[in-house]
Amino acid sequence: MVQFDRQTRPGEPEPERKLGDEGGPNKPDLKKPGAPNELLKRLKKVDPDQVKKYRQRSGQ
Amino acid sequence: MKPSSVLIGIETEYGLLVEGRGPQDQIQDSADFVRSYPGYCFIGWDYRFESPRADLRGFKLDHLAQDPIDAQFDRPGAPVQTSAEIRSDRVLSNGARFYNDHGHPEYATPECHSLAQLVALDHVGETVLRETAAAFGRPTKVYKNNTDFHGASYGCHESYLAPRELGFDRLFPAILPMLICRQILTGAGKVGSESGGWVDFQISQRADFFAEPANAETLYRRPIFNTRDEAHADPNRFIRLHVISGDANMNPWSTWLKVGLVRLAVALAAVGESPIWRVARPVETFRRISRDRERAYTIDLEGGSHSNAYLVLESYLAAAEKVLDLDQEDQHLIQVSRELLTQLEQRLPGPERKIDWVAKQQLIESALDGEDWRSGYAQSLDLAYCDLDQEAGLFPALEESGAVDPFPFESPRAEGRARARAVAVSRFGAELHTVSWGSLVFAGADLALPPDLPDDPDLINLVTKEEFIQRLISLGAQNRV
Repeated sequence: MVQFDRQTRPGEPEPERKLGDEGGPNKPDLKKPGAPNELLKRLKKVDPDQVKKYRQRSGQ
Repeated sequence: MKPSSVLIGIETEYGLLVEGRGPQDQIQDSADFVRSYPGYCFIGWDYRFESPRADLRGFKLDHLAQDPIDAQFDRPGAPVQTSAEIRSDRVLSNGARFYNDHGHPEYATPECHSLAQLVALDHVGETVLRETAAAFGRPTKVYKNNTDFHGASYGCHESYLAPRELGFDRLFPAILPMLICRQILTGAGKVGSESGGWVDFQISQRADFFAEPANAETLYRRPIFNTRDEAHADPNRFIRLHVISGDANMNPWSTWLKVGLVRLAVALAAVGESPIWRVARPVETFRRISRDRERAYTIDLEGGSHSNAYLVLESYLAAAEKVLDLDQEDQHLIQVSRELLTQLEQRLPGPERKIDWVAKQQLIESALDGEDWRSGYAQSLDLAYCDLDQEAGLFPALEESGAVDPFPFESPRAEGRARARAVAVSRFGAELHTVSWGSLVFAGADLALPPDLPDDPDLINLVTKEEFIQRLISLGAQNRV
């Protein structure tokens, strides 16, 4: 598969701030008993490298 | 003015990943994919009235800019096909258009007046894509998103039919602040960045791809406000506001909000009562809001003052309540928008049930459990959220688990001009020569269908083509022959 790197190289990081530390709605706790089983199952099935295989042409 | 008098539509370009294939194959793969649609459809799109290079500001571009990277994907010596062969247009029995647009299968809803109907018709599109993927015969992933995370973007566009007399000069200032600000309620969310510095998560899938406040481009140097002048109706009477800056949404509530809010802004422009916000540096502001983790959503205004997206959106809602003739759906939209704005600003639970970016951010954050957002896994989770596969997609799992609010789907139906198109292709397809948004061509009849063609549920009961043509003429269609 021909690959061209069109992405702008990651530049200087913006000020680091851990997501979620701003308060707000609680994130779903996937470890707690009763966490949605189907969701957990699907999360485990996600291929961590899927995004590397995903290249598209520009659309509109 | 009733906001529901504005005719609306959505066109979604889907991401397509065929196992073992790449972007150099994508145009052919997408054409083959569309041709695999297993349901009834009519083949014979009428391209006579397309004018993507016409600009609302009164001129026509010589050509549209292309992304230079895409040219590198083209294969020298590939068989030459006509534009119609590549596009592989299908008109579906509900009046929708399904075709290959620059390598992306695109589903364009039939036009309608009701927000709930539009959401239902857009949802039908997801089913069309799933059915086509199942019939395609090759392992394929279809994503309802707007980026490949490597710098290629594809669109989810909205159409709003507005009176021609509004023109660019009135529409642009009336709509631009809404387009910049609505993302906080309607963004699909994205891990990472494809322009400028890295960011772990941002609100908008499209924010990285805008280069100018306004122009007619769609493939490269995209604008926030697209000036393409292609009404798909009598151009002396109508403008079709072609919005390209929104995200493709998985949560139907986000779709409902996305279109409903701009429709309010269009209606306010039509009665000359738009809130006045002169946003300084619109492209930078759009991008800054998308990346704002503090949820301040600050907007710098020309002249040195500033405001924020909460206040801008509230100004549209208040003006709509004051001067527009609102129906129940508009009132519900305003109520839901206000609730969500309050919840976002005060960091209360709730927005994740209707807003894609909030749900996606929370889900990915939980799944990462401290892992690095740059590892690639986070972006793979982002993709999985938008995966249309109901057995693998993360959004469908959220629906199943009750983590998002169910949308009160109506039974989808075509109405007015779209009903005429739907009946033409499904009942008289064998005698129909070509079709487009505003035309039906039979032997001896070239019908121009106005966008305000009255709805006639009896069309489906007509027996002959002649009766059908005669009825359409009596409703207001013009025979150009």
